[in-house]
Amino acid sequence: MATDSHGRTTFSRGVHPPESKHLTEDRPIEPGPGVAELSILLSQHIGAPCQAAVKKGDLVQAGQKIGECQAFVCAPVHAPVAGKVKELALRPHPVLGRCQAIAIEPQEPASPTLPSFSLPADFDPTRHTPQEICEAVRDAGLVGMGGAGFPTSVKIQPDAKPPKHTLLVNGCECEPYITCDYRLMLEWTDQVLAGIRLAQRACGASKVFIGVEDNKPKAIDAVGAAIKRAGSGSDIRVVSLQTKYPQGGERQLINAVLGQTVPTGGIPPMIGVVVINVATAAAIADAVLYHRPLTHRVVTVTGEAIAKAGNYYVPIGTPVEALIEFCGGVTEKSAKVVMGGPMMGLAIADLNTPITKTSGAVTVLTRRQIGQAKFERRQTACIRCGRCLEVCPENLSPTRIAHAVRSNLLDVAQSYFISACIECGCCSYVCPANIELTGYIKTGKIFLARQRKKMPA
Amino acid sequence: MLRDITVSFAPHISKRLSTQRVMLDVLIGLVPLVAAAGFYFRIRALLLIGVCVLWCVGIEWVCNLIRRRPNSLWDLSAVVTGVILGLSLPPALPFWTAAVGSVIAIGVGKMAFGGLGANVFNPAMVGRAFLTASFGILMTTWTVPASIDSAMPKLSPADAVDTRTQATPLAWSKTAIKNQTEAKTYSRRLLLSTITGEVAGSLGETSAIAALLGGAYLLWRRTIGFHIPAAVLLAAFVFGGIAYLIDPDAYVSPFYHLTSGALLFGAFFIATDPVTAPLTRRGMWLFGLGIGTITLLIRIVGTYPEGFMFAVLVMNGLTPLIDRLCRRVPVGGLPRVG
Repeated sequence: MATDSHGRTTFSRGVHPPESKHLTEDRPIEPGPGVAELSILLSQHIGAPCQAAVKKGDLVQAGQKIGECQAFVCAPVHAPVAGKVKELALRPHPVLGRCQAIAIEPQEPASPTLPSFSLPADFDPTRHTPQEICEAVRDAGLVGMGGAGFPTSVKIQPDAKPPKHTLLVNGCECEPYITCDYRLMLEWTDQVLAGIRLAQRACGASKVFIGVEDNKPKAIDAVGAAIKRAGSGSDIRVVSLQTKYPQGGERQLINAVLGQTVPTGGIPPMIGVVVINVATAAAIADAVLYHRPLTHRVVTVTGEAIAKAGNYYVPIGTPVEALIEFCGGVTEKSAKVVMGGPMMGLAIADLNTPITKTSGAVTVLTRRQIGQAKFERRQTACIRCGRCLEVCPENLSPTRIAHAVRSNLLDVAQSYFISACIECGCCSYVCPANIELTGYIKTGKIFLARQRKKMPA
Repeated sequence: MLRDITVSFAPHISKRLSTQRVMLDVLIGLVPLVAAAGFYFRIRALLLIGVCVLWCVGIEWVCNLIRRRPNSLWDLSAVVTGVILGLSLPPALPFWTAAVGSVIAIGVGKMAFGGLGANVFNPAMVGRAFLTASFGILMTTWTVPASIDSAMPKLSPADAVDTRTQATPLAWSKTAIKNQTEAKTYSRRLLLSTITGEVAGSLGETSAIAALLGGAYLLWRRTIGFHIPAAVLLAAFVFGGIAYLIDPDAYVSPFYHLTSGALLFGAFFIATDPVTAPLTRRGMWLFGLGIGTITLLIRIVGTYPEGFMFAVLVMNGLTPLIDRLCRRVPVGGLPRVG
């Protein structure tokens, strides 16, 4: 394990943005709004997009599969509620701009009811074969709910090469503001734990660590107590980590907890590690034990401008605008609506953008808050102070990469390892010259991807 | 309800820090040095620094006007250059000479390269180098600090006549050793004076205590890292020590090297100018070791008594190369080709 000078488990470098979790951390999970239309995007994950399996005018049942595809890296989508397919049309997508979606008109636009999850008294993960678990997870359309959206069934694939020795559960929630995973660990502890044990069974890992930042002592205690209750304390350990951004980045988490590094350009499975988010773990339990597909999720609606900030259980496809209105609208002049947290979240232009499987939060930032951020303050010249190098968790040279991209020197950007950037935003966060380093690097990556498409090797 | 929302890249929050604040910290760090200069060389010192600041700021403003660039005075970098240039000048330098130095520092050293962040060489050192080359006598006329009569024994009849000026400790010891006169005894006595600053020299370089105080502030504020100053001082100490061990009669002690001349002032305030120093930590070590070594080579072997300015300029020129040599390796190691 890697530790800092105070003996706290952590990775090297990183930043300490204000946590701002006090707005929602004591708000229990509540049902969200009932809406007149849900838009189920057909691409909510990394991998091939789904094909619609329904037509306009079709009646659908709650939990019915409405989009799927045969590719290996893919996750089907399901109807969250019973209703009618209003249309197949383009809808705003937080990353892609626009994306094909299935619009469903619910039979009755009622608030969702919180699901009841009771752990079966005879719960035993070994009663399910790894293949069974993996198939149930795939059928339920599970993807990494922490943000990346990689199909979970691919991650926990049994008999994968190389064999998996460790399952790492990500309960860090290092992004400021967001508290949905924290509430899950507090309120749905047994479900999260059941999901973890099922995932462990599927991928065959012998060791399990749950990483939680030390600003969530209640969650650490709750999960620890649940492990004791379940009597499986021998192979599952809760690890308290230093509160530091981006502690929840999987490469940083692996480094902090296991002291191992994932090779540049590689992924955790290459060193025998599987990382899943706590929300994904909860969904695995739902999928395997109750055959419930992933149709709802907990979303933190927060920001100083929101009247009733809280953690809400909402159907996937709920438009952001409906959520904000449900939370009492905005109280102050708000200036930016972000899907996700303020460090890595995506600012959206269209408030009809629906909640996806990977949206953990809607953060509404006020003018005062973004006044501190880069785009409102004038960008000045780089004075090469090196602060971006000092905070980069991947030990890159952000200013060199960004300036290479700005001068359109993509080969230079590559010689400074542009593709190793995890886009955590630490460099932009500290830059005294207000340079949008992360923005330039992201732009460079897009240019490179286009170049590759044009000129196949 | 929600209108005029902004869309931009993440992150959407940022640390409250600006270039202006960084420069302000450097200025705060310079306060002890300016105070020491004021104490030892009285009002003239402050006026000289003031002239440099005014001219630096003025020339930057004019250059921005000519280049049709937005006014950049509020980033305070021109003020920093002015104060550092002023502190590096001899107390009795005529004001017009200081003004010429300021024009060269900002006009040629900085704005000709494209302004803040684009210059290759430390602007203040460019200005000072120009003055050294052009006005050699003015740049080596050292006033005795106002607080004392005379710290050093006179080495020649010419010295004895003039009570207003005298040699700097480094220049004095160089001549003294050559002439075999009481060098050892006096260099030991002088060591204490170089620490407090009661010696002849440029405005900012006489007091070791003031430089350490200001440097400590910059380190505490994290405006500078410890790497460059540590490397400069380490190299100077090691080379000074080697020379001293080889022949203690011919060379002064390494401690004397550390406290006299521009070494401490420069290690904390000149070599650490981020624009002209390498980005990576390994690069910073190389850069600092280079400065310390070249400074000592000039002091021990060269004809000049002090070589810090030249050392900084040489290493500034090598900075792009050092940056190229010392690339950072990603946490996950070098990516496999293919």
